[in-house]
Amino acid sequence: MQPGYILSMAEPTTAGPQFDAEALPHLDALYRVALRLTSDPSQAEDLVQDTMLKAYRAWRQYRPGTNARGWLLTILRNTFINDYRRRKLEPVATDIEAVEPHALYRHVEEVDPEGAFFSQIVDDKVLEAVDALPPDFREVLVLSDMEGMSYGEIAEALHIPVGTVKSRLFRARRQLQTALYQYAVETGIIPARETHHG
Amino acid sequence: MGDSINCREAHARLHDYLKQELTPELAEEVRAHLEKCRPCFKEARFEQSFLVMLATTSRKTSCPGKLREKILTALRAEMERG
Ligand SMILES: [Zn+2]
Repeated sequence: MQPGYILSMAEPTTAGPQFDAEALPHLDALYRVALRLTSDPSQAEDLVQDTMLKAYRAWRQYRPGTNARGWLLTILRNTFINDYRRRKLEPVATDIEAVEPHALYRHVEEVDPEGAFFSQIVDDKVLEAVDALPPDFREVLVLSDMEGMSYGEIAEALHIPVGTVKSRLFRARRQLQTALYQYAVETGIIPARETHHG
Repeated sequence: MGDSINCREAHARLHDYLKQELTPELAEEVRAHLEKCRPCFKEARFEQSFLVMLATTSRKTSCPGKLREKILTALRAEMERG
């Protein structure tokens, strides 16, 4: 049926060239997501390798030409949850409205209306702040804003409704912006705003 | 221009607009609003800086060569096993 299968007729059980062509280009994305999920380079390496081997073994379940990246990331995420995350998802503070900071823009529009400070923070500090987000928030932010996946793709990979993706993203962005702002103030990248009374 | 959106509606759709997640019709409403509303335009620019910074930061990391080699070796071994 698929042209790729004709090429691999001699060894019908191997994924071969088609796997190479469709899966290998996503190694960078898989490694980046693994780094953010584990916050640990050596664990991230193991996680990516486990993911690729599982993907290879399950390759016949993949429909060629569909979303290989989403399919691989789903395997990576399931592997992470089942084998790497020490405890099952504690019901994180995901639904507590009270912890939501206000939109940062209102707070800094006078000192840095263009948000120039974001790109003045060194990469490691940005990544640290991402890693400090609650896991549920971090995951959607990494997939959406760092890997460029669509809300629909993320919903599919995480088995959650698109509305949940959007509300988690909203909160993740706010928390991250607030953390980056605090860092920028502490390090003098932007001046602290004077406190207004009343 | 009967059905133009207000600042509150533009604000609510801002991230979705910047992420190109809106339908063409909704996106056009936001675009038209940003064109004539300076405060919302400035806020959009601020949020855009944040999103651009995240995407840029992310792209600087790639899969280490050693790991790539290790994975290819493991895959080859798996393939030979059949
Ligand atoms: Zn407006």
